[in-house]
Amino acid sequence: MRRTIVFFFTQFLLWGLVSQVNHELTPWGIALFMGGLFVGFSALHFERREALIGAFAAGFLHDVGTPLPFGTHAVVFATAVIFIQHVRHRLNRHEGLITVMVILIANLGLFLAVSAVAVRLLPDAGGLTSRVFSDLIASQLTLALVAPWFLALQAKALEIAGVAAPAEPGPRSYP
Amino acid sequence: MPHRSFHASRPFLLLGLLLAGWLLVPTLVKRVLGISFFELQAPVSVAASHVRDLQDFWSLRTRTRHDLIAAGRDLARLNASYEVTLQQTETLRREVARLEALLRIPTLPGYRSEPARVARRDFNAWWQRLTIRKGRNYGITVGSPVIFSGGVVGKVAEVHAYTAVVDLISSPTLRIAATLEGDSRPLSFQGGNNPAFGPARGIVDYVPTDASASEVMPRRIVTSGLGGVFPAGLFIGEITRLETSTDGLFKTGEVRLDSRLAELAEVTVLVPERAD
Repeated sequence: MRRTIVFFFTQFLLWGLVSQVNHELTPWGIALFMGGLFVGFSALHFERREALIGAFAAGFLHDVGTPLPFGTHAVVFATAVIFIQHVRHRLNRHEGLITVMVILIANLGLFLAVSAVAVRLLPDAGGLTSRVFSDLIASQLTLALVAPWFLALQAKALEIAGVAAPAEPGPRSYP
Repeated sequence: MPHRSFHASRPFLLLGLLLAGWLLVPTLVKRVLGISFFELQAPVSVAASHVRDLQDFWSLRTRTRHDLIAAGRDLARLNASYEVTLQQTETLRREVARLEALLRIPTLPGYRSEPARVARRDFNAWWQRLTIRKGRNYGITVGSPVIFSGGVVGKVAEVHAYTAVVDLISSPTLRIAATLEGDSRPLSFQGGNNPAFGPARGIVDYVPTDASASEVMPRRIVTSGLGGVFPAGLFIGEITRLETSTDGLFKTGEVRLDSRLAELAEVTVLVPERAD
């Protein structure tokens, strides 16, 4: 439970930072989406239940104040967690570069999934390709830059709280 | 082998159960969760906006006394011109009241102006929203029009304990009844495409076929007052392109919105005054 709370605190911090950056970016017509960073660490290192709680909490943080149905981000984030956990036994998840790559791919998937839901709001989404593309590029570049720092922060926060992520289990074996 | 395939597909079964479970969660529970998470976030946005105000304050403190005197002089001139406008408004208000009494027509709805600082701007390709630092504590109501010195900002979409969320006119979720300036025929405005590195744009529908507009000769559109949300005559934007719609009965076009919408720091909420 304590690990979930500490983890949520780091997610809340990230949400605060991203929302402030997006606030400052509005005159340039660019918005950052960092969904992958909210689910990456927990999906790679936590047990399924804890990772899903983290995904739902992060999703709810994103859902409030948006015109999307409440729970949209939460469900999409939970889906990403399930997918990452399904393949994580094949990855060297303690390798920083691999973790960043997983987060980047997850962010791409989450961005496209949320866009697919949000496109219903638009009367003519055809003219928005360039905006969506530039948002995605900016998000992925920023994510690649800040992911190592944020992953280290999450690991350190859990370590300080004495609830570090459990050691990596051996490869999954089937009977 | 079947056991292995079941083991592999178990996470997706769980995902399906989660999705089904979420759909079955009562609306009341979702609403309580939404409000709780919003009120959890609100102090962060509000505190950050107070810090920005403090930064502005200290940056202004670095200005020279000469700058302050010049600013005070400009402000005095502006105040003088506003005084004249206020007197004219009062005269017009009395005239309207006299004519309403004479012609026995119902009184136009009144509004209370509530200035509010912007706590957070959330603009992306899909929606454009502001969080302002006033909510139920100042009597803000859902649907109240929001304006600034450049015209319409949007409409209050959500009201919380001490913050409110405003849907901008550039947001595709917002539709406004409008008219061309100097024309009484109604048309429909909707927020729409918001390109990167440029000002937001809107879409206009049901424009009379005799109207024309272009990038060099844009046409201003204002609120029509129909629908009862926005008072009539508030500036929305300029139509920069018009073309005949597919049915040939009307024209559709693109509206250029005020670029200051992307940098708003203060807005005014027009809270409808109750009849009683």
